[in-house]
Amino acid sequence: MTSLILTVRESIRYRGRSGQYSWLAHRISGLAILFFLVIHVWDTANAHFWPQAYAWSIALFKNPLFGIGEIGVMAAVLYHAFNGIRITLLDFKPEWWRHQRTSSLITWGLFLIIFVPIAVLMFSHMISHCSEMAAAGGSCLRIPAFSDFAQYAR
Amino acid sequence: MASITSNTPGKVTVRRVKLERSYERYLWLFMRLSGVAMLILAVGHMVIQHVLNSSTNLTLQFVAAQWNNWGWKAFDIALLWMAIPHGIRGLFNILSDYVHNGGARRVLAIVLGLFVVATVIWATIAIVLFDPAAIP
Repeated sequence: MTSLILTVRESIRYRGRSGQYSWLAHRISGLAILFFLVIHVWDTANAHFWPQAYAWSIALFKNPLFGIGEIGVMAAVLYHAFNGIRITLLDFKPEWWRHQRTSSLITWGLFLIIFVPIAVLMFSHMISHCSEMAAAGGSCLRIPAFSDFAQYAR
Repeated sequence: MASITSNTPGKVTVRRVKLERSYERYLWLFMRLSGVAMLILAVGHMVIQHVLNSSTNLTLQFVAAQWNNWGWKAFDIALLWMAIPHGIRGLFNILSDYVHNGGARRVLAIVLGLFVVATVIWATIAIVLFDPAAIP
């Protein structure tokens, strides 16, 4: 536990420049994706094993709270994918290690160019969903009741 | 293998060595290969399911329409089989930085390994047996 606190503190304090920030972002994005992925896989399996629970959960995930999280997962997947390719290339081509700084900057640039328009699009889906719900007299913030999905009970 | 020495600043000396076969090395290779494959599979999944289609209009009927197609089932199974082991191996790598006790690390490896097997089997059964006709 003390080593964990030490890591968190030193990760912020240690001025390792581009390589260290890539390492940190790769870890954090990886952990975030895994957290989401495990829930997503067990939840999606319910489409077969327990359709009522699955139908309820996808209604719950339309809540903007989860919508924001979904945009975060998108950011994590894109960064982790691009930086992972960079790591793989550098692992197999040690001759390219001298491009460490340039390659990490290219990775961040590519990530921003692709992520920003996607985030805008996902955010607009979320807003239009909420205004549709509001127009129908409801609210996208309401937590759906489990019993609303009784038609899927097995 | 490569090294940077004070005699050759900025230059990398590359020396090819024959590596012995080991479990750790194959897992290292798996992380790279599955990572490259998931550049297509995972990023593709995110773009198709979360941008082109949106989770704001996701329904059980949409899932049934997609899993009526064995191509989509195969895509999802392939992604499942790469993503869960890749993610849990990554978690083990991170935890290894903090867990130094050999016994504790072995217990961790067994628990995480069982979790991978259970998750992959459970979700594969769900995808394979999912019957679109059973959805009202």
